[in-house]
Amino acid sequence: MANTRSLSNATAERDQSVLRRVRHLGSAHNGLPEWRLQRGTALALIPLGLYFVASMLRLATSDQTSAAARLASPAPALLTILFMLTLLSHAVVGLRSVLTDYVHTRAWLVAAELAVRTAAVLLAGASVLAVLKLFLGR
Amino acid sequence: MKRPLSPFMFPTWYRFQITSVLSILHRLSGIALAIGSIFLAWWLVAVAAGGEVFEATHAFIASPVGVTLLFGWSVAFFYHLCSGIRHLAWDAGYGFDISTTYRSGYAMVAATIMLTALAWLYVWLTA
Repeated sequence: MANTRSLSNATAERDQSVLRRVRHLGSAHNGLPEWRLQRGTALALIPLGLYFVASMLRLATSDQTSAAARLASPAPALLTILFMLTLLSHAVVGLRSVLTDYVHTRAWLVAAELAVRTAAVLLAGASVLAVLKLFLGR
Repeated sequence: MKRPLSPFMFPTWYRFQITSVLSILHRLSGIALAIGSIFLAWWLVAVAAGGEVFEATHAFIASPVGVTLLFGWSVAFFYHLCSGIRHLAWDAGYGFDISTTYRSGYAMVAATIMLTALAWLYVWLTA
């Protein structure tokens, strides 16, 4: 009996330490909201992405004036802003899931996630500002 | 025990199969597109800035390196789009059995090639 207890204690201790490691390194902590954000943005990116790529194909060989003129009209300006914000949110969730799989050191994981989030916020801000400048005609 | 960790599972521990290859390509294309979003934001800023910034950006896009990058991103975009739709179908509970998975995998690769070819055909015809 004593033997069994010590064995189960050892098992419990091992499991606890494994769980602790998992909690610190593995879990994204916000599983369901993140899962939903990834799928929601994925759905939104089907029409937004196709729209954006189609409009880029038309602009691929164009000059600055026609690109600026296009982004100055309401629908393309709105859709471009929505596309960039959705794309970057989707990219943050995706890159985060890659990082949590492949970065096995806590410090590097935190640093990499911080870098990804910072880059996404800066890119989102710059894109919105650029489109707004063209849309408002300043 | 020294167990193998995830980025190094492939040639030594796992055999390549169409399912795992397509799954890894989904991630790789996603990473490529995330990097592409930097250039996308840069292009928007360049259009807004105009002048020399746009000229330099446009010259880069039209250069062989720029066109190669655009081609790579177009492949990554169409692949990630088709693969993503396949993943959404799985999330909804469809297409889990092996034969359907293989068929949707090959269909997705075919769709990627066709969409990429159509897109560049359009650019080539209208240029």
